[in-house]
Amino acid sequence: MKKYEILEHKADLKIRAFGKDKKELFSNALLGMSESMKAEIKDAGAKRKITVKSIDLPALLVDFLSEALYLSQAHKEVYFDAKFSEFTDTKIEAVLIGQKVERFGEDLKAVTHHDLNISRKNDKLWEATILFDI
Amino acid sequence: MISKKDFRKINDWLWEIPKTFRSDMRVPARAYVSEKMLEEVFRDESILQLVNTATLPGVVNYVLAMPDMHEGYGFPIGGVAAMRISDGVISPGGVGFDINCGMKLLRSDYAETDLKPHLERLATEVQKEVPSGLGRGRQLKLDISSVNKILEGGAQKLVEQGYGEKDDLENCESNGKFPEADASLVSDRAKNRGRDQVGTLGSGNHFLEIQRVDEIFDEKSAEIFGLFKNQVVIMIHTGSRGLGHQIATDYIRVMIQAMTKYGIRLPDRELAACPINSPEGKRYFSAMSCGANYAWANRQMIAHFVRKAWKQVLGEKALPLKVIYDVAHNIAKIENNLCVHRKGATRAFPPGHPEIPEKYREVGQPVLIPGSMGTASYVLAGQESGKEAFYSTCHGAGRTMSRHAAMKTTRGEEVVRRLKEKGILVKCRSMRGIAEEAPLAYKNIDNVVEVVHRAGLSKKVAKLVPLAVIKGE
Repeated sequence: MKKYEILEHKADLKIRAFGKDKKELFSNALLGMSESMKAEIKDAGAKRKITVKSIDLPALLVDFLSEALYLSQAHKEVYFDAKFSEFTDTKIEAVLIGQKVERFGEDLKAVTHHDLNISRKNDKLWEATILFDI
Repeated sequence: MISKKDFRKINDWLWEIPKTFRSDMRVPARAYVSEKMLEEVFRDESILQLVNTATLPGVVNYVLAMPDMHEGYGFPIGGVAAMRISDGVISPGGVGFDINCGMKLLRSDYAETDLKPHLERLATEVQKEVPSGLGRGRQLKLDISSVNKILEGGAQKLVEQGYGEKDDLENCESNGKFPEADASLVSDRAKNRGRDQVGTLGSGNHFLEIQRVDEIFDEKSAEIFGLFKNQVVIMIHTGSRGLGHQIATDYIRVMIQAMTKYGIRLPDRELAACPINSPEGKRYFSAMSCGANYAWANRQMIAHFVRKAWKQVLGEKALPLKVIYDVAHNIAKIENNLCVHRKGATRAFPPGHPEIPEKYREVGQPVLIPGSMGTASYVLAGQESGKEAFYSTCHGAGRTMSRHAAMKTTRGEEVVRRLKEKGILVKCRSMRGIAEEAPLAYKNIDNVVEVVHRAGLSKKVAKLVPLAVIKGE
């Protein structure tokens, strides 16, 4: 299974993430976002504990990614995985796991709600399409 | 699908979708384009996005798209929408994440021939002095109280501290400071993102160019702006960096949660908006003002570092760089009792307007339009006939090709070689960044400017061509 793919968009970054469940979907969306930052990473690892609460599942995905993006930029780190200790449609508690960063190759500005779509195909695979402002 | 038949031609440069097109539209949607460009705009979602903005509560007259429009998120890029203060909304998505992304233009007293021998060194020094901010940022990391002073004081605060001249503020939209700014309404997260980014360019289409005045279209305006043929000028394009992006992120979240309380339903969540007079609307306006002030301070600081490089290369006695103007192209402002959202559009006040510097009042506000990398840029002047567009005009060339497609079509090395053939120096850390911003990924700036000139939104004053391009990443 592909973890995520980059879709065509004229000016910004559009990612479609996949997952066998919602947790995996969120982790893969995080991976897609983080790899798009094209960071030169350092040897040192990084971990951040987060709690995110939102009004529904699409908003939760945006807020989760926005939280990771903020932490990335504030601490010069990049996160490739998330371990969830709580996961509902409106709340997440997780630890983000990644690396310290020397410099970013791409300045990801923000995660948008535009055309955000989370769905489950044929009762199997979860999919989400997210647009990032770059 | 929207097509040409849905439009009514108003004149050769203005087309309208009537509000009967969709039941949720409150006003018509208008596009400033030539007939040929109109056919091209259907290649992306920009017109649909424009129609969506016509559903926002309190929107007046019509929503507008400039000829450089392209699809964005929520609002199209190149979009203008004005709302009544009494019952209208303010939308962070109508400003965009890069609050007060904009342009600053510095003029020298030198002709290209005077500077030619120093150009390579000048470009190198400027690149050294003005980092992208994607690495370690500036050596200087401000504490939160210093960030607060910039958020509330804008470029004025930096000039007080010696990073510029009084004249720089005179020649800046809103004199480089929105008085409505209240730093207590900006999150610590936003401030943290801004601590080491004052004086940094960012990446993407942000750039700094050393340019030559290639052509003068209007002698009188050019003279008043201090422009002459073959003159060397320096153009800066950047915004509020991570701090502004975080303010927008924070307030879109606030508004999505608050919207239902006000009974606001919109076709796209990214348009999230609250009444201008609501607590959420007022708080966003004050926070956005902080973001705008940070951007003016950022461009002021960059100008300071450019001047430092200028002196290092040309000597202490070199004639100084003066600011022609500094103008935003992502902002919401209260003008004539309306809240005017400009996202990828530039304010263009006409001759005689009290909010433009006195010395420019005879000819109108200078408008700074960057071309894509390696192509021409323009200086325009606001016109009275721009009133029908809430005194707004275009902001650049506008993308026609995605970054990904641009990278597949061309290589950074190839772009650099072509620019070199034209005598243009390129300073950039990443070849990928160069390929993504290749001129072929953009509309032709000459066509875009021709439309706003002919439509009477702003008139052509001068055309600038690059001598050296300095890009963050």
